[in-house]
Amino acid sequence: MMVLLRALPDWVWLVPALPLLAVVINGLRVLFGRAIGDAAEPLTARLSSLAALAGLLILLALDFLALSDGAPGHRRLGHWFGSGNWEATFSFLLDRLSLALGTLTALIGWLVMRFSANYLHREAGFHRFFIALSFFLAGIQLVLLAGNGLLAFVGWEMCGVSSFLLIGYAWQRPVATGNALFAFVTNRGGDAGFLLALGLAAAWLGGFEWTVLSKAAQISVVNDRLLIIGFVIAALAKSAQLPFSAWISRALEGPTPSSAIFYGAVMIHAGVYLLLRLEPLLLQVPDVMAGLVVAGLLTALYAWLCGLVQTDVKSALVFATLFQVALMFVEIGFGWTTLALVHCCLHAAWRAWHFLVAPSWLSLTRGRPAPPPAWLRRNQWLYTAALQRFWLDRLGQTLLVEPTAAFSRDVRGLETHFIDHAIGRPGEGRTVQADRPLVLADGLPGRILAGLSDQLQRLENRLLLRGRGGLAEQWLHRLGGYLRTLENLLEQPRYLMMAVMATFVVIL
Amino acid sequence: MQHAADELPMRQRLMHWIEHLEHILPAQAPIRDFVHHNTLHGLQHLPFAEALAAAHRLTGAATYWPEAQFHAAYAAGRIGRDDLLQALTEVGIDDLADWVIPGVKRQDVLLASLLQPSTLPVASWQAWAARELGGHESPLLQAAERLAQAIAGEPAPAVEAWPATALARWNSLCERVGQTWTLRRLLEHLSGENVLEKVRSILQRHLAAHLDLGVAAWRNPQREAGFFAAWRASAGLDLSWEIDDLHNVRDEILHLSSDAADVLIDELGRLMPDDRLWPGYLERLALEQPGWAGMFLWRDRHPLVGDGARVEMVDYLAVRVLLERLLCEDLMRRLTGVPMAFDELRGYYATELAEFYVRDALRQGGLDEALQDQAVRLLEAEAHGAADEAAWQALAERIAASRPEREVGEMAQRLFGLCAQLPWSADEVAALSPAAGRAVLAVADSLDPLRRGQIWLQAYERYYREQLFSALTANQGRRPLPAMPSAQVVMCMDDREEGTRRHLEEIAPDIVTYGAAGFFGVPMLWQGLDDARPTALCPVVVQPRHLVREQPAPGAEAAAAGHARRRERRLGWREAFAQQTRYAAFSGPVLTVLGAVPALAELAATTLAPGWFGGVLQRLRQSGAGSLPTELALTAAEPANPTPETPQAGFTDAEQVERVAAFLRMIGLSSGFAPLVLIFGHGSGSRNNPHLSAYDCGACSGRHGGPNARVLAAMANRPAVRAGLAGIGIVIPETSWFIAAEHNTCDDGIEWYDLESVPSRFQPALDRLVHQLGEACRAHAAERCRRLASAPTRPSPWLARQHMIGRANDISQARPELGHATNAAAFIGRRMMSRGLFLDRRVFLISYDPETDDDQGRIVESILLAAGPVGAGIALEYYFSTVDNARFGCGSKITHNITGLFGVMEGADSDLRTGLPWQMVEIHEPMRLLVVVEQTTAVLTGILQRQPPLQELVGNGWITLAAKDPASPAIALYCPRRGWLPWSGPAVLPQVARSADWFAGESAPLAPAIILGGAT
Repeated sequence: MMVLLRALPDWVWLVPALPLLAVVINGLRVLFGRAIGDAAEPLTARLSSLAALAGLLILLALDFLALSDGAPGHRRLGHWFGSGNWEATFSFLLDRLSLALGTLTALIGWLVMRFSANYLHREAGFHRFFIALSFFLAGIQLVLLAGNGLLAFVGWEMCGVSSFLLIGYAWQRPVATGNALFAFVTNRGGDAGFLLALGLAAAWLGGFEWTVLSKAAQISVVNDRLLIIGFVIAALAKSAQLPFSAWISRALEGPTPSSAIFYGAVMIHAGVYLLLRLEPLLLQVPDVMAGLVVAGLLTALYAWLCGLVQTDVKSALVFATLFQVALMFVEIGFGWTTLALVHCCLHAAWRAWHFLVAPSWLSLTRGRPAPPPAWLRRNQWLYTAALQRFWLDRLGQTLLVEPTAAFSRDVRGLETHFIDHAIGRPGEGRTVQADRPLVLADGLPGRILAGLSDQLQRLENRLLLRGRGGLAEQWLHRLGGYLRTLENLLEQPRYLMMAVMATFVVIL
Repeated sequence: MQHAADELPMRQRLMHWIEHLEHILPAQAPIRDFVHHNTLHGLQHLPFAEALAAAHRLTGAATYWPEAQFHAAYAAGRIGRDDLLQALTEVGIDDLADWVIPGVKRQDVLLASLLQPSTLPVASWQAWAARELGGHESPLLQAAERLAQAIAGEPAPAVEAWPATALARWNSLCERVGQTWTLRRLLEHLSGENVLEKVRSILQRHLAAHLDLGVAAWRNPQREAGFFAAWRASAGLDLSWEIDDLHNVRDEILHLSSDAADVLIDELGRLMPDDRLWPGYLERLALEQPGWAGMFLWRDRHPLVGDGARVEMVDYLAVRVLLERLLCEDLMRRLTGVPMAFDELRGYYATELAEFYVRDALRQGGLDEALQDQAVRLLEAEAHGAADEAAWQALAERIAASRPEREVGEMAQRLFGLCAQLPWSADEVAALSPAAGRAVLAVADSLDPLRRGQIWLQAYERYYREQLFSALTANQGRRPLPAMPSAQVVMCMDDREEGTRRHLEEIAPDIVTYGAAGFFGVPMLWQGLDDARPTALCPVVVQPRHLVREQPAPGAEAAAAGHARRRERRLGWREAFAQQTRYAAFSGPVLTVLGAVPALAELAATTLAPGWFGGVLQRLRQSGAGSLPTELALTAAEPANPTPETPQAGFTDAEQVERVAAFLRMIGLSSGFAPLVLIFGHGSGSRNNPHLSAYDCGACSGRHGGPNARVLAAMANRPAVRAGLAGIGIVIPETSWFIAAEHNTCDDGIEWYDLESVPSRFQPALDRLVHQLGEACRAHAAERCRRLASAPTRPSPWLARQHMIGRANDISQARPELGHATNAAAFIGRRMMSRGLFLDRRVFLISYDPETDDDQGRIVESILLAAGPVGAGIALEYYFSTVDNARFGCGSKITHNITGLFGVMEGADSDLRTGLPWQMVEIHEPMRLLVVVEQTTAVLTGILQRQPPLQELVGNGWITLAAKDPASPAIALYCPRRGWLPWSGPAVLPQVARSADWFAGESAPLAPAIILGGAT
């Protein structure tokens, strides 16, 4: 038993892989039209929650192993790609941090899957929802368990994509799709930071392993700072800290269970995890830590003020979540990482419950909450600012989303005006040669193809079509004669035997 | 400054217009007090079909089921061809037997037109399919195309004529503004940009903050002064105007008059110079966000709700009109490049006809893909720079050129659909002359979509009505009631209790059941032991004047105090955890850390084993509280001349005698009392469900009806009351005892009241009744499982009940029960007429004995007056929420977000959603309530003539009335146009031994059947 258990760390890749398998199977069922009607729902839901449960069990077994034998630590399972002086690997890091958060995430993920099976019954997007949720679960486990930054980044992106898909769950509503786009675009800012940090790590440290990154003392403090700033930006964006906070309050358009797992329980804590993971690196640059304290305090103030004026339960809860996540950033900034980890785990558990029972608010509460202190209560300007969420989402829209949209419009303009013409479009072909009206072509490849076919045509004409005296016909006649002779010879038994034996020799 | 005298009439008119809004806006109260009502209550003075047409014009909502649904019902055999033919007659279409062309009657064409699929494959698809998939283009379609070509003649030279068409169209669209459109709607049509989205996101937070009933901790400092003042104070400091490129707006807001009515009148004048259009404009504007506007108006009319800040509709309208003007001006500026008002815009597009023509064609739809794509590109180019005039001109010409071809294609498609239904062969179609083709099309087109919906609805209703009438006829005199019943059980009239009653009678043939509106004739304010304040338990239209309190029994005061303390502590902690982790800066994180592990454990337990965990929690709570005997503070010594504001504590003896006597007489139980008379109220318990009260007793204002049952039983057991009753001829013997209980319609459990006070001589009978009723509820649970996809199929009663317990305790269950989803009819009469019939939980059963009523039918009159609106309210709310769930209903529950404790939004930024969620109406068959009264047509005619409210309901066709003769099987149907129509039809019904034999394994609606078992 213990032997099997000790081999388990090498199988930890199953934790993200199983939900991914559920995504593939369910995706194929949808593609081939097998996921239709009430009867198809239980299979989708069961596959997804089974994958989540399997992940949970594996992690629980690993926890047991870690308690009895000590944490398995960094495991390199295979080479991914690399060149010269740097390498990317498939590696997992199983320590106190990743096992604690991974297990909690698996548990919450499994419960949310179970919850959703009933909750989304007969929704048009039932299968879509489960596919996106399983995809998220795979992604977040990759972030938490990965042994290197690159693999974590893959998970990081998977989380972003599934978040986009679930905010836009009710895609018929323009508000929902607009908000999904807003959240997606804002999060790309964080991704840029992540990528920058990874690139620097490859250049300066020759790899992405967390173990290498945490021993970054060999590079200068200046480089260290640049590296960590990239990761900090990623963490701030994912955990919706200032100045990225706006996206989270617009991310509540999805079904209640997805709001719970993304913005209440799990995904919002991903930034906290990333910083905890990079703790050794972080400790070398106190000024960045001071920056974290400032960002955390500002975000906490922002979230607290906004939370006070919210009138709908989900928004109120999301600001409450933001407030406490901001406190975690402050804790990390002060270097109290164990406190931050404990706070993070407990907060995730609490908010999962809090969000999932949000529809019970009418029966959970009786009276109105206590009003804030009088000096605050009477401040009209602060009230307006809090009600408008300090205008961050409008600013984000104006400064980030609209320029991005304009850029994409320009790119499309470039495509329609230049690239399309160069590549050619169907149905727009024009005659290339006046004497061959049937040959139509548009764009560069079209013209090249037309030219090629023209050449081949010529070849054909010369070789074959010049009547009986053609060069090709003579060659073919001669070749036919040789083949006939060979056939006659092979029909004789001795040559047949020789051919068979030759075949054997070749095979053996 | 205008002269005050000039101003006065306009203000009065304004108030009048606002009053009118009550007729068209949703009148839903805050969601805690959800009570079913007719969604179109404001149009109830109109005949049904006209009201639906008016609602469709006003809101754009579909008022009939989509035709595709009716087609599916037709295919499933739930509408017959006969029903459709009859419906054509019923809606008053004449000349059905006329010949349209030789061999084809008018009714044939109409029928074909109704039956043709609503989505036909378009011609180009058919051609593509023939080409690519190797089939042949249908010869019928080819013939239809040739015929359509012939009818259309040569394509008209539309290419040159388009500017004239465009100008006429532009003028007609402009005419709509103020009539059926707002300026916003016109601009949306032109640009595709919906300013309403912006208006809503600007307004929604302020509205919710002003109306909030207890979510926000911090309120607008100016809110005491009313919405307009509060909004102005905030909007004047708001930086979003600048961010949105709306400069000067802040200045404008700061310089607004402080009087909302002034602002409203002023802004309306700037928006629409013609003040005759104002009332219509306000109506449109209010209806663009019906949820918020409706809630605001409701609060305006109910000033006592909330914490006293002023809520006035004129404030809302002033802000709304101001925003409309500001944002539309901004859009017009962006659209045309220069700032302008509406009349200038009208002139602008009258000269830029090509641009208008392209924009209009794009919004109208029907362009082929290439043209559509070009139009979209051109609009985009215009929005980011300028598209040149020539481009608009060229595209307009191409679109105009494509039109005749498209029209012929559409005509061919329609002809094809009709011919396929008639059914004609390709040769027959080929032989048709263009004139004949035109005649056929004209007849088919004589039905507009609303008319078609009406015909389908009538046919749909007729199909069910025929089944029901057959069942009643077949059941006539088949089942005499037991002469010496072992118990009499009085339940709510609720359609859900039909199942419980049927199962109870099958299990215990010697029990007689009754049905009545679930407040059991006792309108009261009720304050249970655990209630902080009294709540009204009676229909919403009644204002109770008596207060009944539950109090600890003598000797249990100390236990009660302990109970209250423990309960207060428990709820206090729960609230502290839920609330403070949300907004408190210091205690929040601490409580989070403390509560996390128990919360996760609870989440796991309730997700994995909801039923078991619910049971554990309940047992824990009970063992903590102990059993606490309580009694009712029921009796008042002196009459105190009570009013709704100052209710009297308890009922006097005389009042009690009067209430009990009236109730017993109403249900026809004034003699022959069984040893036990059970008054059986109902309510529903489910978790995580904002629409909880929509599942409760409609006759108790969306609350539990158990207390009313308990009060009535307690009254009827009092010796003083019994003596009084005997004095007026109702003798309740010593051998009979009244008991009360409440049925939980969600988990099919029963809560019994005051069993300890039942004299011991009734104990054996009581034990038997408790057992029988429990068995009946379990059997009922098994029947309910058949309509729930996640329930076990063919469950045993015990398993079914376990499943229902799990459902009721499951926080992930969006369908804890199905509520009134199956309601379709109501019977008012003796149980004899329906006992032994399987009615599939579709019928409200109201007990009434025509033999004890007087010649005028006074009793049935009062029943109709009380139950008619309740039943119609439920049926019509379900009807409208089903036919257009997006507009009349509140959409899917899964994205709902509780707002201000008064309603739900979808996500965090939407209109306030009213009506029923999709999960509640999903399996509903939308039809009007069919009320069958066991009384003669003469008496009913008299009642209808006496009672205007009934005239409105029945005469306008909001419910369908039928009379079943008390003495014979004859049934007559009331038609508002033609009076009483005697019914004749077959009286043959399938017969089964038990209900379970009929429904086992079925999941669709079931036809009535005769149950042979359970006969006395």
